[in-house]
Amino acid sequence: MFEDQEIISTIEMVKNEKLDVRAVTLGISLFDCISHDLNVFKKNIRKKIIGHAAQLVDTCDQVGDKYGIKVVNKRISISPIALVGACFSSEQMVEIAHELNDIAKTVGVDFIGGFSALVEKGIARGDQALIDAIPQALATTQRICASVNVATTKAGINMDAVLSMSRAIKKAAALTADEDGLACAKLCVFSNIPQDMPFMAGAYLGVGQADAVINVGVSGPGVVKRAIERNLSQQRLSLGRIAEIIKRTACKVTRVGELIGREVADILDIRFGVVDLSLAPTPTVGDSVGEIFQALGLSHIGVPGSTAALAMLNDAVKKGGAFASSHVGGLSGAFIPVSEDLHIAEAARKGFLSVEKLEAMTCVCSVGLDMVPVPGDITEQVLAGMIADEMAIGMINAKTTATRIIPVPGKKAGDSVMFGGLLGKATIMDVPHLYLEDIFVEYGGHIPAPIHSLKN
Amino acid sequence: MNKMIISVLAKDRPGIIASVTSDLCDLGCNLENVNQMILQNQFAGFFVIQAPEGVAADTIRQDLTLKEEEHGLTIHVRSLEEDLEPPVVEKEIFLITTSGPDQKGLVAQLSGIISSFGANIINLKAVFMGGSNPNDNVMSYQVPITNEIDAPALFAALKKKAKDLDLDIRIQHKNIFDVTNKI
Repeated sequence: MFEDQEIISTIEMVKNEKLDVRAVTLGISLFDCISHDLNVFKKNIRKKIIGHAAQLVDTCDQVGDKYGIKVVNKRISISPIALVGACFSSEQMVEIAHELNDIAKTVGVDFIGGFSALVEKGIARGDQALIDAIPQALATTQRICASVNVATTKAGINMDAVLSMSRAIKKAAALTADEDGLACAKLCVFSNIPQDMPFMAGAYLGVGQADAVINVGVSGPGVVKRAIERNLSQQRLSLGRIAEIIKRTACKVTRVGELIGREVADILDIRFGVVDLSLAPTPTVGDSVGEIFQALGLSHIGVPGSTAALAMLNDAVKKGGAFASSHVGGLSGAFIPVSEDLHIAEAARKGFLSVEKLEAMTCVCSVGLDMVPVPGDITEQVLAGMIADEMAIGMINAKTTATRIIPVPGKKAGDSVMFGGLLGKATIMDVPHLYLEDIFVEYGGHIPAPIHSLKN
Repeated sequence: MNKMIISVLAKDRPGIIASVTSDLCDLGCNLENVNQMILQNQFAGFFVIQAPEGVAADTIRQDLTLKEEEHGLTIHVRSLEEDLEPPVVEKEIFLITTSGPDQKGLVAQLSGIISSFGANIINLKAVFMGGSNPNDNVMSYQVPITNEIDAPALFAALKKKAKDLDLDIRIQHKNIFDVTNKI
């Protein structure tokens, strides 16, 4: 039996506060599909993915209807193609991307993630082929996401890979110049990439995972914002009490995700993996991480106090998730993607949020420089420097960081860019000194792992 | 076995439960289940008891009424038949919640549809305070859905009726309320 207020608050979360399951991501191992023959490999991955995922979309819709919670995105993550397709050339890698794109359309998912490589310690033949293939693969497909992990706390930063990725990003942008560099919105560079993340563009299935696994990404910035507003409207609260409210709210939201994820997994007879509670915004009113900052009493995200607020928010979300489930994974925290969040984009447009402040905030958020449009003529050295800085934050702090930077061809700081859909729109951010050609990143090699990585 | 159910209605005040259960104890009755609620300012309580062998329900009612005559209670007592093991039926419980403008006959119309599909209502909460705030006019039915019930047709019929009545309707499995409200 439920109290009236319990029923109403649950319905409000769905109806007015935009609680949803942001992504159910089916991870599929492709290691048993390996072949030196490209046609055989393509046939194997088609059979394996469709075999597991044919009912994914219908099942998610059915379970979503049952609980009245929409499963917004149904996705697939796969073993890193640089590993399972290590024997192929970059041209053949592009063919694999096309095959995956077609498979995604066949099973009705919006993205397949895992056009990926793990190169934190060095670049193997398959890794190089994949990195070389990324621009063409992303420019000629719609439903493929790519990620490259170039750093870890245990391994340090592979600076050769950082520079390679800077060049790949610039090339991908150029190949999709007529779409404002859209290919780069499907490309992440990571430090400490999680193996079980359900969110794109970085989702892939790690090598230590099961043959097939369901991971769930739950969002809910609107729910957190309303919980803060509701409580502050009744009384003035200290920040400690507000953190407690955020934690409790995150706990509820995580439990919703686990409930739905486990049921989808049961129906599909696939192992349940993790629930990733990340405050992932969409470019709509009421579904914004930036609005949470306003609820916390900051005029805009990016003003002094923002890093502290984000640290509190990110930590409270993680604690709530950990309390709710023993199977929390992925990123779990708060995302601050510029173009995907109406208020963050607005704060950047008005000058409250600079690239430097954004980088500072990524020290305490759960991802990094995400969906940041920059001038298209940024030099590859400056872009590589931005990536290296972000990777260093992740490496030293033993946390995930990533960049999803979009150099928009032909546009300069202050111009508008529209990516469409969940990717949103934004004003291109000013990057100081973007024409420098400092050779630091060109020395290449490896920035060694920090002292605290020596734990064995 | 001499099981009975007793209902007690009264204007709410402190001490009703204490008084009734004390009386039942004096009459040699053993309590098995108690449930009570307050609707607006009215107390409603239900007591399932084991009465002493050979004592009739009417006797319990008369004795209880006599003891409570100064307190203005309305008391009904009815014998319960021997427990029959209910058949085990696989079921999933859904909450059907509506909000929207108050109108006469809302409960009758929606419960009529639920009944016409052979579904049972195991809990109903309805608050109609009038006004324009939809949360002031809310009905929530808990309905077990068994395999014999055509759930898609039932839900479609309820949604159609809700639309005709200008109500917002949500049909959600009970577990979603558990995970968001119970730790």
